[in-house]
This record gives sequence, C-alpha cells and structure tokens, in this order.
Amino acid sequence: MSNSTQWVSALKGIIGETNVIQDPDQLKAYAVDGLAPKAVVNPGSVEEISKLLTYAHSEKRTVVPRGNGTKMATGGIPGKIDVVLSMLRIHRITEHDIPNLSLSVEAGITLAEVQKMLAGTGKGSFLPLDPPYSDRATIGGIIAANSSGPRRYLYGSARDLLLGLKAVYPNGDIVAFGGKAVKNVSGYDMTKLMIGSWGSLGVITEITTKLLPLPEASATLLTSFEDLAKAGSMTRKILHSVLLPSAMELMDGKAASQLGESARYLVAFSLEGVREAVDRQVAEIGDIAKKEGAVDTKVLWGEEDRIFWRRVRDFAIASEASVILRSNFVISKQAEILGNYEKIAQAAGIGCAWIGHVGNGILTSYILENGAAKMGPVVDLIGKFTAEAAKHGGNLIVESCPRDLKEKVRVWGQPRSDDVVMRRLKERVDPVGVLNPGRFVGGI
Amino acid sequence: MSHGDRFEICPRSWGVAISEAITVFRDGLAYGLSDSRFALDAGRLEITKGFKMEKDKIISEMVRLVGKENVLSSDMHLKLYEYDASLIRSKPDCIVCPTSTEQVSKVVKFAQDHKIPVIARGAGTNLSGGSVTVQGGIAIVLTRMNQILDMDIENLRVVVQPGVITLDLKNVLAKHGYLYQPDPASEKVTTIGGNFGENSGGPHCLKYGVTSNHVLGVELVLYDGQVVEVGGKALDNPGYDLMGVLGGSEGTLGIVTRAVLRIMPKAEAVKTMLCIFNSIEEGGNTVTAIIGEGIIPATLEMMDNLTIKAVEEAYHVGFPTDAAAILIIELDGLKDGMERLTERILAICKQHNVREIRVAKDQAERDKIWAGRKGAFGAVGRLRPNYLVNDGTVPRTRLPETLAKVVEIGKKYKLPIANVFHAGDGNLHPLILFDERDKDELERVHAAAMEIMKLCVDMGGTISGEHGIGVEKIKGMSFIFSARDIAAMKKVKAAFDPENLFNPGKVLPETEKAA
Ligand SMILES: Cc1cc2nc3c(=O)[nH]c(=O)nc-3n(C[C@H](O)[C@H](O)[C@H](O)COP(=O)(O)OP(=O)(O)OC[C@H]3O[C@@H](n4cnc5c(N)ncnc54)[C@H](O)[C@@H]3O)c2cc1C
Repeated sequence: MSNSTQWVSALKGIIGETNVIQDPDQLKAYAVDGLAPKAVVNPGSVEEISKLLTYAHSEKRTVVPRGNGTKMATGGIPGKIDVVLSMLRIHRITEHDIPNLSLSVEAGITLAEVQKMLAGTGKGSFLPLDPPYSDRATIGGIIAANSSGPRRYLYGSARDLLLGLKAVYPNGDIVAFGGKAVKNVSGYDMTKLMIGSWGSLGVITEITTKLLPLPEASATLLTSFEDLAKAGSMTRKILHSVLLPSAMELMDGKAASQLGESARYLVAFSLEGVREAVDRQVAEIGDIAKKEGAVDTKVLWGEEDRIFWRRVRDFAIASEASVILRSNFVISKQAEILGNYEKIAQAAGIGCAWIGHVGNGILTSYILENGAAKMGPVVDLIGKFTAEAAKHGGNLIVESCPRDLKEKVRVWGQPRSDDVVMRRLKERVDPVGVLNPGRFVGGI
Repeated sequence: MSHGDRFEICPRSWGVAISEAITVFRDGLAYGLSDSRFALDAGRLEITKGFKMEKDKIISEMVRLVGKENVLSSDMHLKLYEYDASLIRSKPDCIVCPTSTEQVSKVVKFAQDHKIPVIARGAGTNLSGGSVTVQGGIAIVLTRMNQILDMDIENLRVVVQPGVITLDLKNVLAKHGYLYQPDPASEKVTTIGGNFGENSGGPHCLKYGVTSNHVLGVELVLYDGQVVEVGGKALDNPGYDLMGVLGGSEGTLGIVTRAVLRIMPKAEAVKTMLCIFNSIEEGGNTVTAIIGEGIIPATLEMMDNLTIKAVEEAYHVGFPTDAAAILIIELDGLKDGMERLTERILAICKQHNVREIRVAKDQAERDKIWAGRKGAFGAVGRLRPNYLVNDGTVPRTRLPETLAKVVEIGKKYKLPIANVFHAGDGNLHPLILFDERDKDELERVHAAAMEIMKLCVDMGGTISGEHGIGVEKIKGMSFIFSARDIAAMKKVKAAFDPENLFNPGKVLPETEKAA
C-alpha cells in the first residue's frame, strides 16, 4: 500500500497534516453505500481545493465533495472513493448587501446559520429556501442537490433565486459564473447548470443569491379530509384561484399523525405576506375547504406555525424511513397519484407515509419499514410508482435506500432522451472522472 | 398596430397558419419596430466561410429536403435576412422556413455532414447580432412553426412551437384568465423561440423572473439531427438542468422546435402609478429606497427627460415633457393590503421630492402608461437616424451613481444618450443616438458603448441583462469572465455542438487557452 501512503502524504502537503483524516475508524463515518474513502480532507481555502483537484486530476483519483452529509445516501453506488472533500471549513459570509437584497456565502455554512444572521440584521430578510434537514444542511449541499421544500410553491427553487456561483472544476480551475446583478445574460447560465449537478461537474465553493424581506405576518391553515378526491379538488381550486399561499402540502393520515395531527388526509397551507392578505386567506381558504368537504380546519400562529413547518421539512428524520422516493408529475394529478400509490402499497403490504408539494407536482413516499427485509416487494413497488408518475409526464428518484436495494433499482428513474447530452457534458467537463464518478444519472 | 387584431389565432384548433406573405410582413414589422435602420458599414462583416459547398448547391439540397415552398433564396430574401435589430449585417447563403421538427432535423443533419453553419431565427429583433449569419450558412427561420399545440390549463402549462408570437399567445391566454409573464417591449412581434434564445426580460420580470424562469421544457434538435426532450411539464426532472443552460444560449447549442411554458392565473388586483421627478437622481434613489424598505413591486421602470419627450411626441400618452424622470410603479397580487403598500410607496416618493404622482384609475389609463413605456425605443429611434442600445446591469443600489456616469460618458463623446431602464432590476438601457453616415460619430458610439459596459462591470454589475452578447458585446466578455470561466462555458458548447456549427462566432470570445 505504499502507493496509497504516497498520495495521501501528497494530500497532507496540500491541505496540511491536521486536516487530513486517515484513521480507518473515523473514515467509516464518511462511507458512501458502505464504501469508506481512503482519506477525508478538510481544506481551509478555495486555493487548497483547487490544488487538491489539480492533483486528483493528474493522479486519476476520485473525489467526493461533502457538506454535512445529509444527502450522501442519494445516487448510484460509487465504484471507488479515494478522497472525501469536506467543505465545512469553507464557511464565510462573504458579502451581505442589505439594500440590494443579495447575499454571498461560502458552501460550508449551514442554511440555518444564514437564516439566523439574516433575520437579525437590519429590517430582517431571508433566503427563501426551506429544504429538509433544516438544522444541518449546508448551502453547498442544498444547491448541489437542488434541495427544496414546501415554500417553493410561492418562492421558486434555487434556479429561480441564485444570481451567481463560484466553483472549482475537476481539473482544478477556479471559475466564477453570474454575479450579483439580478438580471444577467452574459454568457451561458452556468449557475443553473451547477444547481442540482450533485457534485459531478464541479465543487461549489460560494453562491450569490437574492433575498426577500421577512414577511410581515404568517400563519398555517390545516384542513382535514376523509375523502382524497375532495382534498384533490380543493387544492386544484386554490391552484387556479387568485390566492397565493406560500405552501400547499397534501399528506396522508400516517404522515399527519407523525406531525401530531389526526386526519385521514391533511392539506396544510402556509400563508405569508402583508397582514391583511394573511387574514383573508386563512378565512377564505378555510371556507373553500369546508365547501369542498373538509371535515375540520385549524389555524396555527406564531411558534406553532413555525414548528409545524420545521417538522414537515424534517419528516425524513422523524419517520426513520428506510427508503425515500421522490416522484414528479404534472400538477393536477397529485391526489389521483397519491390514491394509486396507497392502493399499490396496500396490495404489497408495505407501510408508507406520503407528503407532497401539491402546487409543484412533487410527492415524496416514505417507506416506513425495513426496506431491505422486503426487497422483492419494494423493488416491485418502486417500479409501479415510477410507471404511475411516468404516465403523467414525470419520473421517480430513489432519494435514499439501503445499498442492497440500490443494486436492483434505477435510483435516478427512467432514462430520458436527453441523457445523451448529459453524458457528453460530463465527459467534456470531467474526462478523467474525478468528481463523484458513477453516482449521477445514467451512471455518469 | 396590434398583431392580435390582424391575425386572429383560431381558438378551436389552437393553431395559426400564416402564409409566406405574412411571415415576410411580420419580419418587416420587426425591422420597422425601430424607425432607424442600422446600415452600418463597419457592421457588414467580412465572411470567412469554413465550408466548401457552393451556394446554389446548398439551395438545391434544401429544396430537396424541405420543399421549394419552404426555401427562400432570392437576392431580395438574402438581403432581408442579413440583419437583426443590432448594427451587424451579413447575408446567409440560404434561408429555410421549416414547418416541422423533422424538417429542422434534416436540415441540421445535412449542415453537420457538410460543415455548414446553421442559425436559428425567430422574428430577428434581437439587439446583439444573435440571428445574423456572420459566417454565412443556413438561416433556419422558425416563424412558420407557429402553432399553440396544447393548452393544458389544468396543469398550468402551454406547449407551443417556437414561432408563436409572444403577444398572440398572451392574448389567447387572457381569454381564459391566464398569463404568461415575460413581457419584452417587443412582444408584439417576437417569437417564443427568440425570447428563450435571448432569455428576454421585461418590466414584470422584477417580480416574476425572466423567460428562463417560465420555460420549463423544450424539444431540441441536436447537432447530429437527433431530437431530444429536455425538461417538460413536470418540475425537477432527474439530471442536469439543461434547460437552465439552454435559456439565453442564443441558438448556439441546438434548435428549439417546441417549448413548454408555465402560465399562471391573472392577479386579483393591479395598481399602476406614474411618479414624476424633477431630478433623475431622486428617481433613482426612490427605487433603492423602495427595495430597501422590503417592498418588491411588480415593476419599477424609469425613463429620463429625452425619452419622455420622444415618447410624448410619438404617442401622446400624457407624460410631462418637462420632467427630469418618470418612474412607473406597478403593484399586483391580492387586493388586501395593497392600499397600505401604496401609501408606503407614496410616502417614500415624497421623501425623495416627487413632483407629482398619478395613479391609473382604470385599465385604459394603465394601458396608456404602458404604451408609452413599451414604445420608448421606437420613439427614441425617431430622434436621430440611428441608435445603439446598451444593456448593462448594476446592483440596484448603484443606479443613481451609474446614471450620473453615463451622462458624463455622453458628454465626453459628444453624443446624446436617452435612458430607459428596468430600474428595479438595475438593468440600464442607455440609447446612444447618432448618424451612421458620420464615420467619426460612429467611432465615438462604439467607444462610448464599450465604456458604458466597462462602467457597469466596475459598479459590480454585468454587460448584458437581457439583450444577449451575440457579436456586439463579445469583446466585453473579458470584462467579467476569466479565460478559465470562458473555457468552462466552451466545454458546454462542445458537449452540445462539437463542430461549432450552431450560430458560430456568437457569445463566447476566442481566448488564450486556459491552463
Ligand atoms: C424595439 C425593441 C424593443 C425590445 N425590447 C426588449 C425588451 O423589453 N426586453 C428584452 O429582453 N428584449 C427586447 N428587445 C430585444 C428582442 O426583441 C428580444 O431579444 C427577443 O426575444 C428576440 O426575439 P426574436 O423572435 O426576434 O428572436 P431573434 O432575434 O430572431 O433570435 C434571437 C436569438 O435566439 C436564437 N433563436 C431564435 N429562435 C430559436 C430557436 N427556435 N431555437 C434556438 N435558438 C433560437 C437566435 O439564433 C438568436 O440568437 C427589443 C428589441 C427591439 C427592436
């Protein structure tokens, strides 16, 4: 293993002895699908990352970038991992332009820390992203995974918010795209390309984003239904109305009870903005819900309102689901698809809970029992769920599952016709296969 | 002149079939948008052709592939398609007007096999040379692919062919109570394909985002003629956000033959205000203060005295010709709380010494204000034989400072500059007025434009907010990007277009090879 010690000592030369982990016991904590890296590095600057990648590129070593590790279970099984690149020391707030409502931060800072700073500065603002793992997820990880949450219904997702981004390319090139101007068509929009590229095109080191002023008021409206079709019809009414909730989530009874609510089906609305509009929407959506057959409605204010949404976001942790599936499809079909998923799961005898962004056509299925123990039926269920989503213009991603299961399913869903372009892109940007090889769509 | 009145879209089939005459007429109209034609000698490019096939042979091959009726090749036609709304000119070897994806694919495949450039073209109204065939080749004009294919209101999506005229689509949607948000001032004639190609913006993009926030999927013809689906009606499809990089790529990565657009229900309430200032600086400061107060209106549009006068003369919309600046503020959304928000905005305006505020009482008054804004380029175009539009964007807090420097640049080069801009976005459009026959003046125009670009970059902004790089701003790319940044973009180009045949010579400058 002298070869291995040789290159690890080269890493130490680049990153510094104390910032390289080599102890096998410690390395286990960084394993991806059971595969531990040979080293973990904690660089303290973008230049160090650049040197590291230049070295990895020339030595044909593989590098897996990592924030706080909340989404490392997503993606194909890696063929080989030489180095895990921890971004946690790259965590400065580089520019907060309050009157311009823009912010630049480095990748390793957590979103929670950013939000806290923003809320407490000047008149108060926020970065309108509310992805899962609310306490731990880092900005870099959120952007690389294009992670989003319920409030994307009103505020959009990272592609609608980011103004610019800096990254280190697989060959070590330090690059900067976009800027802080809110409109920008100078050159290709590389920022969007990097969002959701899951660390396979470059290591995101810094982002610049738009901010929004903190809303004047906010509240949650919970409406419960016995009949799924009625819940579906109500949400469609809201989608086509002038009303503007910031989130509209449909969940089944199991998910609701995890969140402390008892309902066969629950539709939860987040309402934010000027006080008058929040008050009106609480009342009006409540009325619509009742007319459409809601059996109960309830309003949460203040701390209760905040806690509810945090629990929705962190459902993956609380549910202890062994398998998490994310389906997308056209927006009018949410209730219909949920109903079909319930039937499929019931027939297979597999316990599931569901929460979906109704206004965005995204439904997350949480398989509550040991997925590995029921391998055959779970594989079958994933196939059926995927087919159902595909029937309505969508697909299904396996967000997390045990390694054994990964071997039997397509974690990135059904192939698409544009896969060919994605493969060419990866080959041009990362011909050596330094960054996260094998883990993204189509095994690129 | 409204297109909607003239060319009704047939609601039953959701389709339009327009004759060749109308296609030409539409293109003609696009040129007529700005009264000044840009016969810029310096802009007529020396063509260095990288292919061997004779023009006549290309034409006969095109006739074979797409039919005589879909090929334009007369001298008149080649001349008609040698320009867009920039100062750049260069003739194509042949023009094809395909009517199907299959035809586009065949033409692209042929071009690939013979290494002939292919340039997609919509209405040809872009302001940066994006649809000019600077290395010759085949212009693929998509205006005959102008059907609305699917009004999927239930899913808040529409699927259109690329040649659909932006405003025509909006008029159809309005009948159903829905909106497609992007609103370039040129929307009467522009195509959805061209809007996506440039990632066009407009007044309401302050609140709703630009074209690429609203185009969710496309059918794309790749360099080898293969047809792929990118994105779609559903959000978050697995894989890279190719839609992201295609938006604003100016036809350099592939040809869009179909687009899936996001639509939304019409807002409940709209309030439009015209705020009149005696100083342009006060106007700019008002914009900064409104955003700083945490208010993001639907629009924050500004124009200076020269523009106001030109607009008034051309359209008589009632703008005060002695004002230094006017600010058009529009709020939309729920009616609740809008009055209070309006009061807050008015208070901010007063703090900044607004001279007068006019609140539009009804749709007719609103339309009048917007007619004035949307007609601004055309109106300014009447002042001198030619104009050049800049498109730099700065952080909105630096608007007043930037404007003052733009005025200085105008003085330095002895050129009149009119200013119309998307103030809320920090996107400036200084219009430099000149007469192209005066060679000395022409040179000063180019120098001033370069200096304005540089100024915007120095202010922490960028060289183009919505009009694109094309050829016109290609030299400015080095102000913002390093050779490595450009190299990264070139890898994208190579992945989509290995032989560099889609709209060559645009967007990405030649650079020293990055390490
Ligand atoms: C008076 C006036 C006012 C204007 N106002 C605005 C404004 O407010 N905001 C704004 O953003 N712009 C504005 N513009 C600029 C221009 O109208 C826009 O850039 C418009 O979107 C161009 O559309 P088009 O159909 O004319 O496209 P073209 O000019 O024909 O093409 C634009 C680019 O897109 C590419 N392209 C076209 N179709 C396709 C396709 N199907 N597939 C791939 N690539 C394609 C072309 O190759 C070219 O690079 C204005 C222009 C004028 C003359």
